[in-house]
Amino acid sequence: MDETAFARVAEEYAARLYTVAFRMLGNRADAEDAVQRTLLKCFAARRSYSPRWAVSTWLYHALANVCIDELRRRRPAAERPPRATAPATVERVDLARALDRVPREARLLLALHYVDGLSYKDLARIRGISINTVKSQLARGKAVLKATLAEGGDGGRP
Amino acid sequence: MVDDLETTLTRYFRLAAPPGLVDRALRGVPADAPDLAGLAARVRIEATPRGVSWIRLDHRRGPRRPPPSLHQEPMAPAKPALELGFSDRLLDGGGGATGPTRRIAEQARRELAEYLAGRRAFFSVPVDLTGVPDFQARVLHETSQIPFGDVASYADIANRIGHPRAARAVGNALGANPVPVIVPCHRVVRGDGTWGHYLFGERLKTRLLTLERSTPALVGCATTRIVCRHGCTHEQRVREDRRIVFASIGDAESVGYRPCRVCRPDD
Repeated sequence: MDETAFARVAEEYAARLYTVAFRMLGNRADAEDAVQRTLLKCFAARRSYSPRWAVSTWLYHALANVCIDELRRRRPAAERPPRATAPATVERVDLARALDRVPREARLLLALHYVDGLSYKDLARIRGISINTVKSQLARGKAVLKATLAEGGDGGRP
Repeated sequence: MVDDLETTLTRYFRLAAPPGLVDRALRGVPADAPDLAGLAARVRIEATPRGVSWIRLDHRRGPRRPPPSLHQEPMAPAKPALELGFSDRLLDGGGGATGPTRRIAEQARRELAEYLAGRRAFFSVPVDLTGVPDFQARVLHETSQIPFGDVASYADIANRIGHPRAARAVGNALGANPVPVIVPCHRVVRGDGTWGHYLFGERLKTRLLTLERSTPALVGCATTRIVCRHGCTHEQRVREDRRIVFASIGDAESVGYRPCRVCRPDD
């Protein structure tokens, strides 16, 4: 893949990569950083890209690793000040909070699945896990979401 | 609401990219020439009130396209009072602009700039390793004992922390070094003498080791007969014709020099 092709691919996927990263990392700055790191990594490795992989799989694979690394390096001791990106609705606040409770891997799969509508097969390839693991992780993630939303969303809203 | 989780999720994960994302993300992608002096302006520093907690290269600020609003000289040799970079993060709960956290970040930036310009051979800024796993913390501590200009092998470090078979684990621990350069993981090389990997890239490791080997670590003043580490405030005031370079603190003491009490070259 040459440079112009790479730039085109980056342009096409940047928004989706960003949305996944934003929902995983929770703030704009880190999300942009993650997108940039991902593109840098892929740019550096663009010669080893093989067309038997879908470009999206390749990019999401890198992005997933970048996000997981970032989450891993965040330390519980150094609490981050809350960001000023206020979610627009109550529903979003609830969902954001509920998603925080979902384990990392499941959250990543949920984000990838809902942002780009990736199939189980794609998700399995991106994370290097089996399709059945993808299914069970997604199911577990949704179960946690449902439970959290049910217990937290009492009354208040119709 | 639980019933339509699917719709909620779909709506929640709708695309929301800020304008100009691609331009920012692709900026600096091909700009990778490791220019040491310019590097100081490109590091991103995170600090807590206890010390520096995170240092990485910031690719957003490649030397090719500096943001127009930011007039920060990459290196100002005459006046090293560098401002905080806009990407620095102060992890003290969003405290004031003059707090200890900010001072630590500024000090780190200044010392890094001096170090990369060959005007400093040690760091006095504190490092905050809170939350770093025990094994890694011991590796980092042992690594920080390697003197300027010297090297040790991964196996050496493994031996010193009492895990002689853990050389590879040492490599991984250093690869995840939260504060590179200040904790000198570039001074850890392979047992066969080749330089191995570096989290900023092998080329940069070469540059840093070359820099250290061509920079004097200890400087004495012929009048006061005090020996300082290169970069100490006292050392910086020593007149050019009174400067004496020493190879080791033992050398200096053998001819009657005493170690400086500020930078403590005998520690």
